[in-house]
Amino acid sequence: MIDFFATFPSMPALMGQLTVGLVNGAFYAMLSLGLAIIFGLLKIINFAHGAQYMLGAIVTYVLLNQLGIGYWPSLIIVPVVVAAFAILLERTILRRIYRIDHIYSLLLTFGIALIIEGVTRNYFGSAGLPYYAPESLSGGVNLGFMFLPIYRAWVIVASLLVCFGTWYAIERTRLGVYLRAATENPSMVDAFGINVPRLISLTYGFSVGLAALAGVMAAPIYQVNPNMGSTQIIIVFAVVVVGGMGSIRGAIFCGFLLGLTEGLTKVFYPQASSTIIFVIMAIVLLFRPAGLFGRKDEEETSQTEVAEESYSFLANPYVTLALIACALAAPFLFYPLFLVKVLCFALFASAVNLLLGYGGLLSFGHAAYFGGSAYITAHSVKVLGLDPVSGIIAGTLVAALLGLFIGWLAIRRQGIYFAMVTLAFAQMIYFLAVQAPFTGGEDGIQAVPRGALFGVIDLNSNLAIYYFVLGIILLGTLLVYRTIHSPFGNVLTGIRENEKRMRSLGYNVARYKLLAFVLSAALAGLAGSTKSIAFQLASLTDVHWAMSGEAILMVIVGGVGTILGPFVGAFVVSGIEHYLAGVGSWLSVIQGMVFVVCVLVFRRGILGEASRLVYALKRHRAKTVSRLSSVNFEQASGKTEN
Amino acid sequence: MLETSKTSSDATSLQDAPDLLLAVKDLEAWYGESHVLHGIDLEVRRGQVVTLIGRNGAGKSTALKSMMGVLEKRAGSVQFGGVETITAPARDIAKLGMGFCPEDRAIFASLTVRENLFLPPVVRPGGMDIDTIYQLFPNLRERMNSWGGQLSGGEQQMLAIARILRTGATLLLLDEPTEGLAPVIIQQIAHTIELLKERGMTILMVEQNLHFVSRIADRHYVLEDGNIVDVLSGTDVEANHTRLQNYLGL
Repeated sequence: MIDFFATFPSMPALMGQLTVGLVNGAFYAMLSLGLAIIFGLLKIINFAHGAQYMLGAIVTYVLLNQLGIGYWPSLIIVPVVVAAFAILLERTILRRIYRIDHIYSLLLTFGIALIIEGVTRNYFGSAGLPYYAPESLSGGVNLGFMFLPIYRAWVIVASLLVCFGTWYAIERTRLGVYLRAATENPSMVDAFGINVPRLISLTYGFSVGLAALAGVMAAPIYQVNPNMGSTQIIIVFAVVVVGGMGSIRGAIFCGFLLGLTEGLTKVFYPQASSTIIFVIMAIVLLFRPAGLFGRKDEEETSQTEVAEESYSFLANPYVTLALIACALAAPFLFYPLFLVKVLCFALFASAVNLLLGYGGLLSFGHAAYFGGSAYITAHSVKVLGLDPVSGIIAGTLVAALLGLFIGWLAIRRQGIYFAMVTLAFAQMIYFLAVQAPFTGGEDGIQAVPRGALFGVIDLNSNLAIYYFVLGIILLGTLLVYRTIHSPFGNVLTGIRENEKRMRSLGYNVARYKLLAFVLSAALAGLAGSTKSIAFQLASLTDVHWAMSGEAILMVIVGGVGTILGPFVGAFVVSGIEHYLAGVGSWLSVIQGMVFVVCVLVFRRGILGEASRLVYALKRHRAKTVSRLSSVNFEQASGKTEN
Repeated sequence: MLETSKTSSDATSLQDAPDLLLAVKDLEAWYGESHVLHGIDLEVRRGQVVTLIGRNGAGKSTALKSMMGVLEKRAGSVQFGGVETITAPARDIAKLGMGFCPEDRAIFASLTVRENLFLPPVVRPGGMDIDTIYQLFPNLRERMNSWGGQLSGGEQQMLAIARILRTGATLLLLDEPTEGLAPVIIQQIAHTIELLKERGMTILMVEQNLHFVSRIADRHYVLEDGNIVDVLSGTDVEANHTRLQNYLGL
């Protein structure tokens, strides 16, 4: 145990960290405040909030270096410019998805964030760009017990004023009354003659403007770089979960409080400073699932668009056999390691799909299990000398345990909150992976021996590893198939469609969700373990949030709620990466665009659309046939749920 | 109680009358895929009180919602004050002077009573001033600083009516103003509506309470399965009581 008194820091060090904590808290507060306002009125979680904050900092940098416009004018110009961009975004894109499931808004804004970050990374690189505070705010004052940098003091005071001003505008002004009323019942407010669509645009613009303002203020403190938003937004999600989503006061208060806590942790137990917010989130979920200031949220039922009247390709034995034949012959047509990658990702995506497509739960943190078990397997094979199969089993078991723990906490929230909570926990695992001694930090665990299967079959040839991986992935897929077509799978689908009703029928909904979560985590772990053996590598990329996003992208592209969809999605997405590797940072722009297009026009994915088409064709043919020979078409075209 | 049932005019031959405030022709409406209104015609003159009656699910509330523009999937023609509004959004219809009081009253729980009352912007001059509103609904004055969610059903109904009276709306759409209220409150609401009628307010109202309706309405439209199946003038009600009861399935 740590001896607090022995390690008690000096007064200036303590106050210094407290100031840093308050500065961080100031940014958390401004960002979570904007998120809370947007969520209230638009009912979307603005994943692009971090990217828009980053955009604020980048535009500030550009204004100074290209146009010679300094800090003070930037404080006004930048929020206005970024807000104008946001309003354009709202009018052209976001407006289309208000009436569909909230999960899609998260995916859409995630795609937009990828595009913004990809474009800025392309022009400004990933290195930090320096920006200096204006003359009048540089330097500091010695207060006797501490040295206070003036710029930091300015940030704290200014953001407190901005937060208070925003709170006042919402609670005490006529416009605020409109905003609160429209949050509660937009169509009635519209029926009073108030232009609600314009109110929504302005609100979105204002909230994004707040994020951009935070970006301007952050420019002299943090290095201006295209990645500064994404790490920030995940922490802000955790802040929002702690504060309670709908609450303006909660956002402000918890923003500052958690920033302060982070600063204090840096003093007393620095190793935990990057994870403390997530630990607090876990505790809050345990005791006050709705958040410190939140009201108990309404039940959300998921309406992910699963093709209901569709044709099950796997129900046809010829199709299944042909697919297996293709899989066996594939390494002679494609580069085997590319196929191995596709297979591993397909299983990973299947795990995400099991939760999303059949349980209606969007996990945004499956990289934790994928990457976590990759580390475990790589370590146990390379350092502990286990054979590959034992290594994979060890990795999968650890993923299942991790899933049990995180799932137990996460299933306390639903819908969009569930996605935020899983994302935040995955980020905690990411930070642990960065710090843990055995993970090898930035290098990861390299040169993991592939070894020999059962000590006899050497896996070092690409062909051998392909069939080895194929076997594992087929087993995993079979497990998914059996799960979905079992009574358990039916109950899960029932929960997706109407959780309340399932509860009223006497099902222990939480237990079913948890079991599905553990199963899904184990499958993601199996995929990650297999990947680490096949590619002889486990690295931070595997646990990064972008990996979770990629798995979701594969599911959406392939078709939510179909067994083969993840395979199609993995093939398409990995194919884009493989063949467009030369485009560098444009890759995330392309991925972002695929996200946006899929959510806007193509929500059933490739296989979802295909199976609907085949079903419609079969039905049409069956109708014609039945008219001729009066055969009942119900028998002719098996209507299945896949 | 004031008995002020004006002699009603014949339901027909209202065409092009200068005092025609609302003319609905062949109005159809849908909830998603389901077709709820199948082309209804109705007319309301200035200063009249007109009711829509019919069983649950006949399309009464839907009719009000599609006239207000709250229900967007609609077709046909709704002329309000001579302006065609079938494609207009609700906010534009409101600005023409239509005030809507929905069945659930739509009191905002997170706003105070005062905020609720002053929420709808004034759309035309001639709205009721706050003192008159207090006279009409003395209960509201005492509860101005309470949250909207803390009001009783009767108070909510009064607030819902009061807030559209302030705006200067020329036509009030009231959806079951007496539903679920205690008899003494119903009396008060009825009294209010009579008073409004005396002041020349035009009202189109959905109401199941025949006793209440027969006293003040000039004309009744009977809705059944999304069609208008009968029109009765106010004075007919007593005479046709059994016929009406039949429609309502009582």
